[in-house]
Amino acid sequence: MTSLFSMNPMIAKLALSFMVFSGSLQLAYAEQHGDHGHEAQEQGHSEEHDDHNEAQQGPNGGRLFHEGHLTVELALIEDSAEPEFRAWITDEGQPVSKAKLTVQLTRLGGETKAFEFKQLKTKMGDYLQGNGAVEEPHSFDVTVFLNHEGQTHTWQYENHEGRVEIKTEIANRAGISTQPAGPGEINQTLTVYGKAVADTSKISHIEARFPGIIKRVNVAIGDKVKKGQVLAVIESNESLNRYNVTAPFSGTITARHAAQGEQTEDQALFTLANFDSVWAEFQIFPTQSQRITTGQDVVVSLGERKANTRIEHLIPSTTGSPFMIARALLDNRSGQWTPGLLVEGKVTVKKVSTPLLIDNKAIQTFRDWQVTFIKVGNEYEFRPLELGLRDDENTEVLSGLKAGDEYVVDNSYLIKADLEKSGASHDH
Amino acid sequence: MIESILRLSIERRWLMLSFILVIFGAGIYSFQKLPIDAVPDITNVQVQINTEAPGYSPLESEQRITYPVETALAGIPQLSYTRSLSRYGLSQVTVVFEEGTDLYFARNLINESLGAIKNSLPPGLEPEMGPISTGLGEIFMYTVEAQEGAVQENGQPYDATALREIQDWIIKPQLALVKGVTEINTIGGFDKQYHVQPNPQSMLAYDISLEDIGQALRTNNSNRGAGFIERYGQQLLVRSPGQLQTIADIEQVIVKNLNGTPVKISDVAMVAIGKELRTGAATRDGKETVLGTAMMLVGENSRTVSLAVAQRLKEVQTTLPKGIELDSVYDRTTLVDKAIATVEKNLVEGALLVIAVLFLLLGNFRAALITAAVIPLAMLVTITGMVKTGVSANLMSLGALDFGLIVDGAVIIVENAIRRLAQAQHNNQNEKLPLKERLELVYQATNEVIRPSLFGVMIITVVYIPLFSLTGVEGKMFHPMAATVVMALLAALVLSLTIVPAMVAIFMSGKISEKESPLIVAAKRAYEPALKAAMKAKTVVLGTALGLVFISGWLATTLGSEFIPQLNEGDIALHAMRIPGTGLEQAVKMQSMLEERIKEFPQVDKVFAKIGTPEVATDPMPPNVADNFVMLKPRSEWPDPDMTQQELVKEIETAVKELPGNNYEFTQPIQMRFNELISGVRSDLGIKVFGDDLDQLLASANEILEVLEKVNGAADAKVEQVTGLPMLSVIPKRTAVARYGLNIAELQDLVATAIGGEESGLIFEGDRRFKIVVRLPEKTRLDINGLSSLPVSLPNGGYVPLSEVATLQTAPAPNQISRENGKRRVVVTANVRGRDLGSFVTDVKQQIASDVDLPAGYWLDYGGTFEQLESASERLSIVVPITLAIILGLLVMAFNSFKDAAIIFTGVPLALTGGIIALWMRDMPLSISAGVGFIALSGVAVLNGLVMLAFIRDLWHEKGDLAMAVVEGALIRLRPVLMTALVASLGFVPMALNTGTGAEVQRPLATVVIGGIISSTLLTLFVLPILYGLLHKKDKIKTEEV
Repeated sequence: MTSLFSMNPMIAKLALSFMVFSGSLQLAYAEQHGDHGHEAQEQGHSEEHDDHNEAQQGPNGGRLFHEGHLTVELALIEDSAEPEFRAWITDEGQPVSKAKLTVQLTRLGGETKAFEFKQLKTKMGDYLQGNGAVEEPHSFDVTVFLNHEGQTHTWQYENHEGRVEIKTEIANRAGISTQPAGPGEINQTLTVYGKAVADTSKISHIEARFPGIIKRVNVAIGDKVKKGQVLAVIESNESLNRYNVTAPFSGTITARHAAQGEQTEDQALFTLANFDSVWAEFQIFPTQSQRITTGQDVVVSLGERKANTRIEHLIPSTTGSPFMIARALLDNRSGQWTPGLLVEGKVTVKKVSTPLLIDNKAIQTFRDWQVTFIKVGNEYEFRPLELGLRDDENTEVLSGLKAGDEYVVDNSYLIKADLEKSGASHDH
Repeated sequence: MIESILRLSIERRWLMLSFILVIFGAGIYSFQKLPIDAVPDITNVQVQINTEAPGYSPLESEQRITYPVETALAGIPQLSYTRSLSRYGLSQVTVVFEEGTDLYFARNLINESLGAIKNSLPPGLEPEMGPISTGLGEIFMYTVEAQEGAVQENGQPYDATALREIQDWIIKPQLALVKGVTEINTIGGFDKQYHVQPNPQSMLAYDISLEDIGQALRTNNSNRGAGFIERYGQQLLVRSPGQLQTIADIEQVIVKNLNGTPVKISDVAMVAIGKELRTGAATRDGKETVLGTAMMLVGENSRTVSLAVAQRLKEVQTTLPKGIELDSVYDRTTLVDKAIATVEKNLVEGALLVIAVLFLLLGNFRAALITAAVIPLAMLVTITGMVKTGVSANLMSLGALDFGLIVDGAVIIVENAIRRLAQAQHNNQNEKLPLKERLELVYQATNEVIRPSLFGVMIITVVYIPLFSLTGVEGKMFHPMAATVVMALLAALVLSLTIVPAMVAIFMSGKISEKESPLIVAAKRAYEPALKAAMKAKTVVLGTALGLVFISGWLATTLGSEFIPQLNEGDIALHAMRIPGTGLEQAVKMQSMLEERIKEFPQVDKVFAKIGTPEVATDPMPPNVADNFVMLKPRSEWPDPDMTQQELVKEIETAVKELPGNNYEFTQPIQMRFNELISGVRSDLGIKVFGDDLDQLLASANEILEVLEKVNGAADAKVEQVTGLPMLSVIPKRTAVARYGLNIAELQDLVATAIGGEESGLIFEGDRRFKIVVRLPEKTRLDINGLSSLPVSLPNGGYVPLSEVATLQTAPAPNQISRENGKRRVVVTANVRGRDLGSFVTDVKQQIASDVDLPAGYWLDYGGTFEQLESASERLSIVVPITLAIILGLLVMAFNSFKDAAIIFTGVPLALTGGIIALWMRDMPLSISAGVGFIALSGVAVLNGLVMLAFIRDLWHEKGDLAMAVVEGALIRLRPVLMTALVASLGFVPMALNTGTGAEVQRPLATVVIGGIISSTLLTLFVLPILYGLLHKKDKIKTEEV
């Protein structure tokens, strides 16, 4: 049975080779499954701010710069009230206090800003604090100057985020267009609906002054009459004199009750109406009423018909309905506004000139902000905006953009899509 | 028993021979039925249940559809698990059954369960099971396009809607009839709809609500049958037609009677042919198109079906209006033909090489022919077996067939038989042997070697057993391979027991040349002194062998590794992904740019894409994802035909990365489909968080992500994207709604109709039917600001603006809701770099247990490929030793000696050595394919040793002189050993050198076997005799064994 012993190592060897084999399979798995879908350059916020891959990271989570024994650690702190720079300077591991640190940021487009630092002692530890907040976007080229014992040391690094380069040819093909931001007018409108009604002051129900027999009627329904024109001739019952009934103003006969031979009784003989002007009465609901005042311009429309006018009165509804009535006078000499028509009104509720506005198409949401993308050369970068008034076409920019900045109008979505694309995945 | 079979075979030799006809008959019959494909189908047994829910947001479709469907499925027999996703307008539940479940049985079960819940689903929604197809099912794709200048009957050029109409009503019905096609899936274009677009202002003027319009359309659009009357003996059918037929008809429908004046549709609305709110689009070469996909029924022969589809497509072309062109853009036949050509080439060339070797070494034409006859016979039996066991012919299943291995058993038998016959003839003064004597001699010769030969084949068969223990995708890939090889080997085994001896008995009747072939003579002349020298320098030889084993062990660790060599399909597929929330039309625009750019490559023939979800949601992608197919020109048309596909992919990738807004994932058409269907977690580790509240789930997932990122070795950690779909919510103000006498449902109906549209009947044009949809005009719909002043009609006349009764809010909402086994889940995934998976997972589990605090009702599940790896290694670590034990057991049975068995076993590591060196020399990584090669190798090595050792032992026992027996035996066995080795390795040579489609899968396997056989033959020829001599030096002959 000595052979048994001679056999064991062989089996062991064999098992070993199988194990080597299955072990390398594991590796194979990892490689095959590990690599898919991560080709995209990470452009996300967190990614970029942590982008110190090649750079050394210091004990406070900042970026380290060395020169001899001198070490500067610079961190951009975002969880404080306002984003700020903090720095720690050491010489052979000992904190250095007599040194002048300046950090200069160069943003896309060449705008620069310098930060001076001052020593701060806090419970959390001592550090140098940069003066002033670091505004978003945190995308810039950083130059660090350190003046220590008469020597100036300089370091540079890039800290880009939300920036993307697109070749001109491709941008053209993609239909990305830009235009400079500038001043303009915001014209806010509100759509309301209402009816065209006749001007009650221009409707007359004409009666005979003295009762009598209608001897003659000169007009028919629809006839246009002039002021003073004789409408009918009546023979008074008392005096048996004939007298004329004349039109009190120019207008159209809309009703005629008088017929030859009839007694006038107490009824109206004619209704004369002048539709040269009609009123548009719009219903203004509570949510809208704050924005509507008298004197506002309104474009009244019905299909292709349009008229410019203004709101004359604002009166509460008399029927107990919750809405108010806004009245606007319509010039109806062409006769296109028939009373009873339902009309749409676009009320200009606000019209202001603003020093800076951009096209609505240029506004995208990016992370938690509303942003637009500016273009410098072939590079595009987002600008978080504080927006003001907005109308159908443009939006006022309160801050975040400068006049003259070239911003993306058409297909701005592509820039947003490109910045966020690393997050696009195919999950089932 | 073996003796009696042998005797029977020789005595009833003609009967045996007649079995050949049976084999031929069965084989050729089966061949007609053999499913042929390029790769094995790795899809699991799954049924997709799709419910289209137009207008439903992810949350609603989950709550109203997915949940009831999932609940209904719980408890179905043989259910493995369910997973689901709820998206805009779609709920998809995927039910995965245990392996081996009959698909039709499974579908029946589901059908029953779905029937039971029909009432609990929102009215009008119908869950439907996906096509009876698998990942290999998308066999044919074509586009429908209009030629330049072609016009419709009405003089308009063809647009996407018109093309879609042709696809839906002319092409699809014809193609769906092709045998083996289960579904024609359409994507792209627009479903033709009749749109009634009311003008809000006119509606106000006439005091008409959207509901009035819908109601009017519904009640004025039907035919009615009214039975029959008999008149003078004749039967008259009565009907009252009232269906709307044209746009003018619709316009004339009266909505309301206002003071005696009828208000018609045309007074309040515009009627026009409109576009559906589609969920998917298709593009080709930068332009929108309509794309049809033929899906093959499970188990059909993809080549036959796609040929039939192509044929039918040609016939359909003749039925199309002038100027409309069908163009096949993807045809599986191409790939299958290429793959089969590769396999065929390998097999034929291998067979020829094997036959050539047999001629050369046996030096006898008839003998060689008899041996070679085993090849087609075994092949035919194998094909019959494949059909019976449902294994399809493909690169994998046929990829490991080596005719060399198959004829090994026969070679040994025939070789011995002619040697003995020649000897006998020689003794008989070169006269022909009498029949009886010849038969007896054949019997003896066969019987002499049948045992080692049978054992050898059995051992080779046994080594394939570990492959059967693989499960999941690996199992699906390699079971067919193992099954085919085992079937072929078993067939060869039976053949060498029956027909081979019978044929020897019949055909080796003439004069048998005793002369050995000059090759063998030369080999012997070289071998004898070499062996003698080796016997003298035992330690050197053994030391070298041992050293080689260790060196190759080290080499193995330096080899790269891959799981399975990826089949090169010859075409490229890529996912183009945009950010969630990207609109379909925007995606189409981005897609056009992408395609134009890809088309600029001279190697590209066609490029087309599916964006979003097709009509049948077999692959429910959101609109921001597109599946691109890049079909390449034949290599001869490339500017540089030697460029590899990887290089091309690299170049395309660089080029398209410049386009803004797209993210890409490169793959291949079939591979992409498999990935989509198998889905699951594709990272090393997936941590699934289960629970109720989406926000909480996401919060917990993010917590886990934070912990995960800190664990050493974690890479690419990320949380599954579940949010980020911007949503405009119209939230009713309850008090205001009540104050105006409205109710919430009315308000919601209004919003739904205004934006999404409401279906209000059908227009019939012959067979074709088109929906009538009431929806606000595009201009009004798209104007979000204007939406707030959208008038809402009040029940008692009048109106209020929408902003009066509802708040409009835009906020990000869930993009999709994923569920697994009936519970919401969010997955955190990570890969592992630079550390072993096992310890990483343990670490992660510990960290999460201590650092993450899950609220009550939330739990975790760990999954990912690490699971498969773990279970695979676990199984292999049990099965491999057992297999080795079985082999050893067989050897012990053959030799009645542990020692001899162990000596033979030494062949294995040395054989592996050669395999590893061969891989290293060809710069190939380790893979499962190579692993299969190692497995085959172990078998061959053992077989060689067996043949050699058995003879030496017999000789020793006969002659009693160990040293003499070793040398003598080795010399006599030189021919069979060389032959088996040569045929086995030469049989693989074409495979190792082939560069055709699919060759990449087989190349490592063949390389390993060739390299291994060389080393193992050297071992058999030199090391084995030495070892045998050494170990048996002190043993005495047990005469009773002789």
